[in-house]
Amino acid sequence: MRCSTTTKLYQRCQGDERSGSLGDRVMVKERATKLAAIGAIVASTLVAQSRAEYHFAVGTKAGVSVSNPYGSISVKPSSDNRVVVNAVLHSDKVEVDRHQTGNRVDIQSHLLEGADATSGRVDYELEVPPDASVTLHCSDGTLHAERLHGDVSLEGAGAVVDVRDVSDGHVHVKTMNGTVTLSNIQNGHVEVDSLSGNVTLNGVTGPLVQVVSTSGRINYVGDFGNSGEYRLTSHSGDIDASIPEWTSADVSARSVRGEVHDDVPLQPKAHTWFPLDKGRAFAGTVGRVAVSSTVILRTFSGKIHLSKRSEKQ
Amino acid sequence: MTCVELQESLAEVEDGTTPEQRAHLRTCPACSALVNDLNVIVAAAGGLQEADEPSPRVWNSIEIALRREGLIRPQRTTGSLAHTLFTGWTGRWLVSAAAMLLVAAGVLIHDRMQTNTVSERTAFSTPIPNPSDLNDNDLMQEIAVNAPTMRAAYEANLQQVNESIRDAQAMVNESPNDEDARRSLLDAYHQKSLLFELAMDRSLP
Repeated sequence: MRCSTTTKLYQRCQGDERSGSLGDRVMVKERATKLAAIGAIVASTLVAQSRAEYHFAVGTKAGVSVSNPYGSISVKPSSDNRVVVNAVLHSDKVEVDRHQTGNRVDIQSHLLEGADATSGRVDYELEVPPDASVTLHCSDGTLHAERLHGDVSLEGAGAVVDVRDVSDGHVHVKTMNGTVTLSNIQNGHVEVDSLSGNVTLNGVTGPLVQVVSTSGRINYVGDFGNSGEYRLTSHSGDIDASIPEWTSADVSARSVRGEVHDDVPLQPKAHTWFPLDKGRAFAGTVGRVAVSSTVILRTFSGKIHLSKRSEKQ
Repeated sequence: MTCVELQESLAEVEDGTTPEQRAHLRTCPACSALVNDLNVIVAAAGGLQEADEPSPRVWNSIEIALRREGLIRPQRTTGSLAHTLFTGWTGRWLVSAAAMLLVAAGVLIHDRMQTNTVSERTAFSTPIPNPSDLNDNDLMQEIAVNAPTMRAAYEANLQQVNESIRDAQAMVNESPNDEDARRSLLDAYHQKSLLFELAMDRSLP
C-alpha cells in the first residue's frame, strides 16, 4: 500500500511535468525520483521491522533479566504475576532468545551474522510484577524503569539511565558516559558508578546512597532522608547538593584542589579528622542532630556547592 | 624485573614461578601479595560448581564474538562453546584478568593501608607498581575490534581514570593517614575495573 502511494505521487509529479517549462520539468522529475527513493527506503524499513510479544507466568519476587546490545529497554509494573515482553526488532538480523527457569526470565537479543548497530537494534517494553528484581543491560540505548519495588540493576557503557518511583528495593547503576537520572527512589540502597556521565538524583533517599564518578557532574536535589549515609564522590566532576529548609544532616565536604561553597547555616563541628581549609572544606550539622543523615561530599579537583532551596514540606 | 614487567608476565606464565619472577617476588612484598591473591582466586575458581555456570546469555554472546572473529563457523551449537573457549583463545581473558588484577590490586592496597603502621606505609609507597598501566593496550585493542564507534569515548575515559589513580596515589603518598585519600585511591581502581567490565560487556553483546 505504501509503495502504491509512492507510485501515485510519482505519477502525479509526472502529470505536472507536462504543463511546465523544461527547467521545471527537470526539477519535478528529480523531486519525484527522490520521493520514490525515500518511499522505497521507508517501505523496506517498515517491512523489515517486526514486533513480537511474549508472556511468562511467574511467582512473587521474580527475577527478570534483559540484555540488549543495541536499543532501549523500558520496564513498568504489570497488574498481575505475569511478565509481558513487547519487542520491536529492526531487522531479521536479530532475534529474541527467551529462557525461563522457575521464577526467573532471561531475555537476550541474539545478533545474527552481519548484524550491526542499526540492523541489530531491538526496542523492548516490559511489564513485570512490581516486586520483581530487574537486571537490564544495553550498550548505548535508554534504560528506563519505573514504579517497581524490587531490586533494579542497570548497566551499559553509553546507556542513558532513567529510574523513577522505585521503593523498597536496591538500585544499582553502572555506566561509562551515559547520563543517569534517578527520581523519587526510597528506602533502598542506591549505588551509582559512572565514569564521565552526569548523575542527577532527585528525591532519592535511603539507608545508603552512593555515587562514584570520575569526571561526571553529580547533582543531588532532596532532603537526605534521615539516618542514612550519603556519599557523593568524584575526581574532577562538580558536586551540587540542593536541600530544603527542613533537612537534618551531618555534612562534610572536601575538595583537594577545587573549591567548596555552602549557602546553608551549619553548626560547625568541634572536631574533624581532616583540615578545614577555608574554601576547600567544610563540616557541620544542619537541622536536628537526632535524626540526621551522614552526608559526605568529596572531590579531588571539582567544585562542591551545598545550597538551600525554599520549598513547602 | 620491575613490578610492571612482573605483572605483564603473569598472564603468560601459568604458575608465576620463573627464576626472574621468583627473584622479584622475594624482594617485592607488593607483588608477592598480589600473586598470593591471584592464587587464591585461581583456587576458588577451580572449585566452582556446575550450578555456577554462566547463563545462556554469556555463551550466546561468546558465540557471536567468536563468529565475528572468524574463529568458529556460523553454527548454533552453544554446547560446544565451552570447549572452544578454553582451547587456545586467550585475548579476551587477558582483559578479564586485567580487571581482576585491578580489583585485587585496589583491595590489596586498601587493606594494607588500613593495617600497616605509618612506617610500613612509607616503605610501602616506594615499591608499589603502577597498576594503571596494566593491559590498557589490550583493552583498547578489544574496543577497536568490537566497538570501534566507542573507541574515542573509551580512550578518553581510560585517560581520565588513569589520571585519577595517579592523583589519588600522590595524595596517599603525601598523606598516608588521610582516610579520604585512601578511599579515593580505592574508588579510582574501582572505576578502572568498571571500565574494563563495561568494555567486556560491550564486546560481548
